[in-house]
Amino acid sequence: MSNRKKLWSIFGPLIVAVLMVVVVFLLPWKFNNTPATEQRAADSLSATVFKNRDLKVAALSDKKANYVPFFGSSELARMDLFHPSVMAARYHDYKPFLFGSRGTQSLPQLFNMAMMNQQLKNRKAVYIISPQWFVKEGVSSQAFKYYNGNYADYMWLQQANPKSPYDRYTASRLVFLLNDQGLVSSLANKIANGETLSAADRANLKVRLTFLSHEDQLFSGFFLNNNYGNKIAPQITQLPRQYNYPKLLTMAKEMHAAESSNNQFGILNSFYDKRVKKNIKSLKGSQRKFNYLQSPEYNDLEVVLKQFQKNNTNVIFMITPVNAKWEKYTGMSMEMYDQTVQKIKFQLQSQGFNNILDYSKDGAKKGFMQDTIHLGWAGWVKFDHQVSAFIDNKQPAPNYKLNDAFLSTKWANLKPSTTNLNQFKQDYLTR
Amino acid sequence: MLTWIQTLPNYTAYGTPIYFLYLILAIVPLSIGLYFGKRFAWYEALISFVFIFLMFDGTSYKQGASLIGYLIYQTILVVWYFHYRQRKNSGPVFYVTAALSILPIVIVKFTPAFVGHNSLLGFLGISYLTFRAVGTIIETRDGVVKELKWWEFVRFMLFMPTLTSGPIDRYRRFAKDYKKVPSRDKYIEMLGKSVKYLFLGFLYKFVIDYFFAEQWQPFFERMAMQHAPHLSWWTVGVAYMYTGNLFFDFAGYSLFAVGISYLMGVETPMNFNKPFKSPNIKEFWNRWHMTLSFWFRDYIFMRFVFLATKKRWFKNRNVLSSIAYMLNMMIMGFWHGVTWYYILYGFLHGLALVINDWWLRYKRKHFKIKTNAFTKGVAIFITFNFVVFTLLIFCGFLDKLWFHPFGM
Repeated sequence: MSNRKKLWSIFGPLIVAVLMVVVVFLLPWKFNNTPATEQRAADSLSATVFKNRDLKVAALSDKKANYVPFFGSSELARMDLFHPSVMAARYHDYKPFLFGSRGTQSLPQLFNMAMMNQQLKNRKAVYIISPQWFVKEGVSSQAFKYYNGNYADYMWLQQANPKSPYDRYTASRLVFLLNDQGLVSSLANKIANGETLSAADRANLKVRLTFLSHEDQLFSGFFLNNNYGNKIAPQITQLPRQYNYPKLLTMAKEMHAAESSNNQFGILNSFYDKRVKKNIKSLKGSQRKFNYLQSPEYNDLEVVLKQFQKNNTNVIFMITPVNAKWEKYTGMSMEMYDQTVQKIKFQLQSQGFNNILDYSKDGAKKGFMQDTIHLGWAGWVKFDHQVSAFIDNKQPAPNYKLNDAFLSTKWANLKPSTTNLNQFKQDYLTR
Repeated sequence: MLTWIQTLPNYTAYGTPIYFLYLILAIVPLSIGLYFGKRFAWYEALISFVFIFLMFDGTSYKQGASLIGYLIYQTILVVWYFHYRQRKNSGPVFYVTAALSILPIVIVKFTPAFVGHNSLLGFLGISYLTFRAVGTIIETRDGVVKELKWWEFVRFMLFMPTLTSGPIDRYRRFAKDYKKVPSRDKYIEMLGKSVKYLFLGFLYKFVIDYFFAEQWQPFFERMAMQHAPHLSWWTVGVAYMYTGNLFFDFAGYSLFAVGISYLMGVETPMNFNKPFKSPNIKEFWNRWHMTLSFWFRDYIFMRFVFLATKKRWFKNRNVLSSIAYMLNMMIMGFWHGVTWYYILYGFLHGLALVINDWWLRYKRKHFKIKTNAFTKGVAIFITFNFVVFTLLIFCGFLDKLWFHPFGM
């Protein structure tokens, strides 16, 4: 073999392969997402959907299906008979698009939203806040990274304004949580320092985004959890044909009584067997020191609120309860919990976010909780009832007045006694 | 003053597929030169500098500073010893020199255990540079390093493809490659191997390891942690997933390092050779992280055996080799870091080598077992599972499970 032939046999396949890959990624493939794929994505709760763009944008732009974004976290995975996705399929003419699983707190949600501003503009949305997010360290770096990807970061960096205190705050959190030396961190560092991105940076982002968006279009429709097919769809017809709120509530309570029979806490039997039973002794009093009063999560929530304002999204919040019997057993202070909720509501209401479903005091109601901290049965029925009223009826246009005092560590660390909150109001909010 | 350096992008070696594009584009002129029988030393120095700079800039700049300091220190030490050795050959001087060469890594490895945070002297790759420097000193003492120039030594130490995680080359072998240009036929053959190694590396590191590292291991760890501090079957799963993760990550990385070395006309030795096919633990160490285990074999195990034989410390040959195995593996354990799990890992491997030797002797004496496919299968099975078990200890998951279940 001549040398030229030898070289060709080494590099020929390589060159052909590279060309093929470039062609595949640079051609604007447009796989029309079928309604079935959109439906599957809406209930998949998977990180792939969360971190990518194509599926959620397609679904939320689909006028016929009428998807409504539901932002939340682990409660969304409690897919019992009265889960909002089942209820909506039976009774309402909208479909929830579920964003969130365990660990998707405010900041991961912000990056999720940054990929679909256009789809959130002047729309309604649901945002579920769990007081459990508001731990001392805020969202863990591990959870953040699991739900964060380059695609969302690049898109956020493209729209970030180094003059905005909100974006500078987000950038510094991004640097802190990623804790690496990649492109995202170095560009976020610039934003955090108030520097604008150079033309070269922007060009770099643009090229990378082209590749990522094609990759997204090609692949993110595969390997979606089929929660819709496995959990949602089979339950739809088990609901009564006619919507009757009191009847549904009774039904939910009855089901709860039957399915939480093996423990004193009203926890779903299988959850109790799997997660609680073995450690029941060591769990007693284990939450005595839990404290959600001081957390960077309050600041993180603020940048999410800012995003809602930017997009003029009309959002309804729900604040989740905890299982009262369980918390009594584990010794969590309900006074602390109430104060946390007070602080969250203060932050929302003083900036014009007035649609709040506060369920924090419902944790002792019959059939309200599926397990220790997650809504189920009657809780979902009430939630669906109130949320659908918000979505189905015309609402007054939102009028949000954001205040960057809520980005301060002072706010994050403020102990929310009535005096402190009044003082904070006087110092920062009345101008 | 150093703020600008902190804002520069940082690229760890072989971290992302795009890195290869930059690196290979930079190497193309060098390859063309080699093909036509020329080695552009200055150009190579330039790209090595650029890519090493990219590993240690950004927020890692402090590590970069440590690297420079470390390199100056080792170079002075090695060059000084080389000149000294041309005139004299005193044992104590050799021991002191070797000790001084090991000193930085000893400080770096012991600091976390005593002070609770990482030493400022440390940087990514310090272990591997230490092996290269100490190996050179030992070979100088043996008198086999006949020629040593400071810039050649620096080039050997800073050889970019293998800088941060090996494979561990030897100065003599490296310098021999470096001084000549491979013939055209030879270089074409190296290019072919290089492409093959790089693509096998891509398969290992970016495809297979993705599942082990990003999907399966975290899943099993999460499930196992729900039973913390108790053991569960999930923990067994963690052991297998970690083994897969470590192998495909490290073997993939090593393939990259070897593949890129070949492009640059240097035949860096291989690091892995189908280790899980080993029928016994001794064979395993001939196939797993080979450049490390050969380094330990040549410079610790053999040295100790020679010394002990010369001084007649032990009467029984088997006792001698057992002690040497234990010493060898315990030092390897400490080298990984001063934590209970690394040290226990070293201890268990030492013990396994001792038992393996004993068993082979015992078997030869008392049984007449013919080796067949079945016995071989059993041997491979036992060896593999022993390795998985020790890697579970090694990976530190048990430490988290038992002692820090809430991430504290």
